[in-house]
Amino acid sequence: MSDPQRSPKEPPEATSTATTPPGISRRGFLKGAGITAAGTALLSGVQGLSREAVASTPKGVKEFGPEPFPVTLHINDKEHALQIEPRTTLADALRIQLNMTGTKISCDRGVCSSCTVLLDRMPVNSCMTLALDTVGHQITTIEGISANEQIHPVQAAFVRHDAMQCGFCTPGMVMSCVSLLEKNPHPTEADVRYAVSGNLCRCGTYPKVFAATLDAATQPASKA
Amino acid sequence: MATATTHSVADAILIAATDSSGAATKTVSMPIGVPGYTLHDEQRTVPATEPPVLPVNKDLDYIGKSPERWDGHAKVTGRARYTADVQLPGMLYARFVNASIPHARVLSIDTSAAESHPGVKGVHVIESLLGAAVLRDPALESTKYPIVRFAGQPVAAVAATTPQAAEEAAAKVKVKYEALPFVVDANLAREPNAPLVFPGAADEAGTAGGGGSEGGIPQTGNIHGPAVHKKGDAEQGFKDADVIVDARYITQVQTHSALETHGVVADWKPEQLTVYSSTQGTASVRDEFAGYFHLPKSQVRVITEFMGGGFGAKFGAGNPGVVAATLSRKTGAPVRLMLDRQEEHLSVGNRPSSDQRLRIGAKKDGTITAIQLISFGTAGCGTGAGCSGPAANLYKWASLHTEENDVFINAGPAAAFRAPGHPQGAFALEQSIDELAARLNMDLLDLRDRIDENPVRRVQRQIVRESALWKSRNPRPNADPGPIKRGIGLSQSVWYRHLTMDAAAEVRVHKDGSVEVLSAVQDIGSGIKTVLAQILAEQFGVPPAKVSVKIGDTNYPVGPNSGGSVTTASLTPAVRDAAWQAAQKFLASVAPALHATPADLTLAGGMVRSTSDKFQPIPFRIAAGKMNTDEVSAQAKRIPDYNPGKYDTYGGVDIAEVAVDTETGRIHVKRVLAVHDCGRPINPAQVISQINGGVIQGISYTLFEHRLLDPNYGLMVNANLDKYKIAGSYEIPQIEVQLTESYIGQSSTDASGIGEAAGIISAGAAIGNAVYNATGVRIRQLPMTPAIVLAALNQPQPSMESL
Amino acid sequence: MNSFALADCSTVEAALSQLKDGAVVKAGGVDLLDRMKNGTDTPTRLINIRNISELRGIQSTPEGLTIGALTTLAEVADDPGVRSQYTVLSDACGQAATPHIRNMATLGGNLLQQLQCWYYRSPDFQCLRKGKEICFAFSGLNQYHAIMDYGGCPSVAPSSGAVALLALDASVELTSTAKGKRTVAIRDFYLHPDANPHRFHVMAADELLTSIHIPKPAPGTRSAYQKYGEKESHDWANADAGILLEMDGSLCRRAVVAMGAASPVVRRSREAEAALAGKPITPETARAAGQASMTGAMPLSMNAYKVQLFPVAIYRTILLAAGQMDRDPSAAG
Repeated sequence: MSDPQRSPKEPPEATSTATTPPGISRRGFLKGAGITAAGTALLSGVQGLSREAVASTPKGVKEFGPEPFPVTLHINDKEHALQIEPRTTLADALRIQLNMTGTKISCDRGVCSSCTVLLDRMPVNSCMTLALDTVGHQITTIEGISANEQIHPVQAAFVRHDAMQCGFCTPGMVMSCVSLLEKNPHPTEADVRYAVSGNLCRCGTYPKVFAATLDAATQPASKA
Repeated sequence: MATATTHSVADAILIAATDSSGAATKTVSMPIGVPGYTLHDEQRTVPATEPPVLPVNKDLDYIGKSPERWDGHAKVTGRARYTADVQLPGMLYARFVNASIPHARVLSIDTSAAESHPGVKGVHVIESLLGAAVLRDPALESTKYPIVRFAGQPVAAVAATTPQAAEEAAAKVKVKYEALPFVVDANLAREPNAPLVFPGAADEAGTAGGGGSEGGIPQTGNIHGPAVHKKGDAEQGFKDADVIVDARYITQVQTHSALETHGVVADWKPEQLTVYSSTQGTASVRDEFAGYFHLPKSQVRVITEFMGGGFGAKFGAGNPGVVAATLSRKTGAPVRLMLDRQEEHLSVGNRPSSDQRLRIGAKKDGTITAIQLISFGTAGCGTGAGCSGPAANLYKWASLHTEENDVFINAGPAAAFRAPGHPQGAFALEQSIDELAARLNMDLLDLRDRIDENPVRRVQRQIVRESALWKSRNPRPNADPGPIKRGIGLSQSVWYRHLTMDAAAEVRVHKDGSVEVLSAVQDIGSGIKTVLAQILAEQFGVPPAKVSVKIGDTNYPVGPNSGGSVTTASLTPAVRDAAWQAAQKFLASVAPALHATPADLTLAGGMVRSTSDKFQPIPFRIAAGKMNTDEVSAQAKRIPDYNPGKYDTYGGVDIAEVAVDTETGRIHVKRVLAVHDCGRPINPAQVISQINGGVIQGISYTLFEHRLLDPNYGLMVNANLDKYKIAGSYEIPQIEVQLTESYIGQSSTDASGIGEAAGIISAGAAIGNAVYNATGVRIRQLPMTPAIVLAALNQPQPSMESL
Repeated sequence: MNSFALADCSTVEAALSQLKDGAVVKAGGVDLLDRMKNGTDTPTRLINIRNISELRGIQSTPEGLTIGALTTLAEVADDPGVRSQYTVLSDACGQAATPHIRNMATLGGNLLQQLQCWYYRSPDFQCLRKGKEICFAFSGLNQYHAIMDYGGCPSVAPSSGAVALLALDASVELTSTAKGKRTVAIRDFYLHPDANPHRFHVMAADELLTSIHIPKPAPGTRSAYQKYGEKESHDWANADAGILLEMDGSLCRRAVVAMGAASPVVRRSREAEAALAGKPITPETARAAGQASMTGAMPLSMNAYKVQLFPVAIYRTILLAAGQMDRDPSAAG
């Protein structure tokens, strides 16, 4: 079902007075982050965009680029200020500008999902997502799913089951499986296959990815 | 049994195996055979300095167990830093300019627009190229720039402050070509009037992982060959045969498609060239850089902390390496050059195709009187398409005649690819062996028992014979009535005990009780870090996770290049020897404080003991505090095998259950039982991971993967990861792996690698034989796509089995 | 990817005002960024409509369903209402690409995605559809190309959503500043390459595809979609079938058989539909319909297998829609 709360950025008129960051349901937001600081951060992120609006452009249109401009991205419950161009993908922003290199690029066309991040908790391909389109949204990367030295149950299960070889696809696989368990805490093997049907692994770790994810589903969650 | 003849690695081992020092020796009793089946003791005379004999796995604390992958945390958290992730201060990003036509003379290259593009710091025009075959007589081509022999061949490169600037500037380099006639179809390339890829004979040297070809091979037109090997009298063998099976098999070109593309970060400083490289061989990369730039090896440092898959294609500096280093030297800044996915498909290796005519003659009892294999395959503008390994080495024969031909086409050069030549060769051989069994009315396993004396393979066949999956097989082909037909097929695989003596390590023991191992070896995903940690853990009684493993850096003692499954077999004895020697030094270092002589002390199970019961056992860590120095260390290198004349193989027996949808032509692999040996498995979980991977890569090769070159323009049309099709989560069968722990008494660990033997060799034939069992129709062409399968099913062949 | 400016629009009106001077519309961006990364498309200005919230969502009305063009494929596939009453659409959206892409790609973008022909997608081939005279597929590699009604370009219809919407007699709403809104049936929306090789559909340069309207199916309607590739994990269709059956007791009052991977434009097989009309759905009638679907097939040099595959895809999907067969393990997951 389409959830209007989940829709992307609302018009600026709405956001300027909003108390809930756009693009995030209040409930999800409260669950996902410390309320005050992060809430302010998100709003300032959107204002970061608004500053770029050119006065002469028609109502409802904001112009960007082609030159770099500042934005604030909300990544792993923290705000990150950076300069991007319209063409900057989220993957490049993460990897090159923020040095968050856990997110990998392999096919660079959205078909291998090595670049998987969660956008408002949904798995997407960061290589095919413009960084600009993620302003005002919650971005979760592989660096952001461990809490206080405690790795996520999916990560722990991947280690226990040796669900990796070269490891290059592993962050993307983990993110897909983390997202699966958030939506479906008791998946079947078929559900896991479905969740990673866009994740390519050339070393052939799939059987252990399936086993690890099913095992992780039986573990107590380490993070609310 | 004959040994592999087409691989340079084998030659290296034979030379190294003659190394003998004449030093003091001791005679020890070692476990030999397969526990539960053939285990017994044999005497070996070994150097006196060797550590005590390791018992079989069940009697050990850490070796043979499956502790967590040593760097598992780093990988699942994204902390693992691959070459693609390296960022150095001031680093530039480089992009290649690639030829867009398959055969051309470069007339001129204008880089002026690129040089003035904002952000560009350096431009380099390539004047010598690595990777392809080279003319025996270079005078046949005297051109300033290398002849373009395939679409995607790098011509120049640009380094800029951002990846975008580099990409934009690369597009501004103007290259003028004189197009030359080209050929991309290996059949057309064999015709007398075909356009010539090379104007004369050309050869490609092998790499650490195989590939390349032996010297002195004749060349006619585009046909580089035949490389002829004759043993015994095959003509007579076929006369002596009661039955001859004769068939043609065709396999496609597969690309390695590692998820991390080829690439380097090169940092040229006056005192040292530092290269971060996504490689399977820090040593081979250093060698190539030193050779190319005439630098002392001591001034080249190669670092491979993590690498995202290689499968045989990542050994040297390569064009990305030398170009990045050149640009770094020119600009005075570190330069990163990572290929994009299209370049990865086009220019840095692939598994050659094959077109094989295989004849096998046999007596009524199954004894093979003759095998003849005539093969043509294309390695693009490289060589290495031979595929006779399985025919030569899997079974006993009275005579063997192989003729292998490389057919040059205008495509990127091949590179070693996981078990070079063997998936192709086994696809043919093992289907023909099944045909032979049918012709002789023999059971598939009984026939193999007759012609294969390898004792481990014999055990493995017994395991298969007793498996529920094999017992569920209906020997009658095409027994299922519905459109979806089930079948089970079998194939064996063979790989060789390849070794290199250039495998060394240092082990250090510190006064705080910490231990570390240092070696330049790189972990290609198979888990050598964990394996080394386990060996130290066994020696010092420290949990593997607490052992520091420092590898992937040529600052450490030389490590083996990880190709041909050499790593574990080559390096683990050196590490164990170093750990043992360090332990002896450690005991000498603590002896004074314990008022004992070193000879009275032992270290086992994590405890220091006095053999004369002078004191209660002391934990290793406590004892370390009593060292009379801050650190003791020992370095050891691989010594030759204990029984050097004996040449062993590793392999497996795999069975696959398929469901063939005879209406859609889709083959689903449902279940696989893979029974494999690699000597002593040091970390069974990691070995199983590799076998899973080999099986899956083999399924992917058998059913989906195909490099497609447009016949009219010579460009690869599916140089991506959506139309170049690789097995994904829905294509994965239930895989059961059974490891056959086996001992041959050859080294202080008696361990070996599994990479090549693991699944990929046997998948094609196991699936082919299963499809025959399901449908009564043989598929002799890869990949078995719906188009191929439906075409085969539409023409019920006069199957040889029914003759 | 080339450098570009981007106009981020928050309303339809705003976006329409930007439709000029060669600016290119971006919704989810999956198809557009693919082409831009390949270098076949180099727009210098994008109109970002991704954030127009009024274009996102699924609305059920007494007449049927209205789906905002920016509703993602995942949202369409997972919607319980769509799944129960418009199963063919739920299936088609749920089998497109990968789960990740379905979270990004929109239904409107799926309908407007460009050809998947490898020659078309490559900057190295300037083909008929890119303004030149030549098609490279006829004499080149065409194993995944069309088998019927291809005229001068045998690239197949790329949108699985369109196959389902054709089966559902759906239409798209096109909006422009000059003409306001107009509605075009899916069957009339796409242009055959021979009608105009340089355009894929009838949408004008000043129009936006704003929503999709689907009439409420008649009582007793059942539908399903399946696609057959070489793999089940992320592959393109070699054959696909969007089936809609209006049942009257045990008899099929009306059937729609829609196909995508057979021809450059999504098509209905009137022959297959006639083979079902007024008959009970049985394995025999379903197979007869499948066979009838290939009337007029003229495979190319490398794709004769598709003529064998389509009838199977169609008969099995008919039986799936009729509840007589499980989802096919050979079909995409």
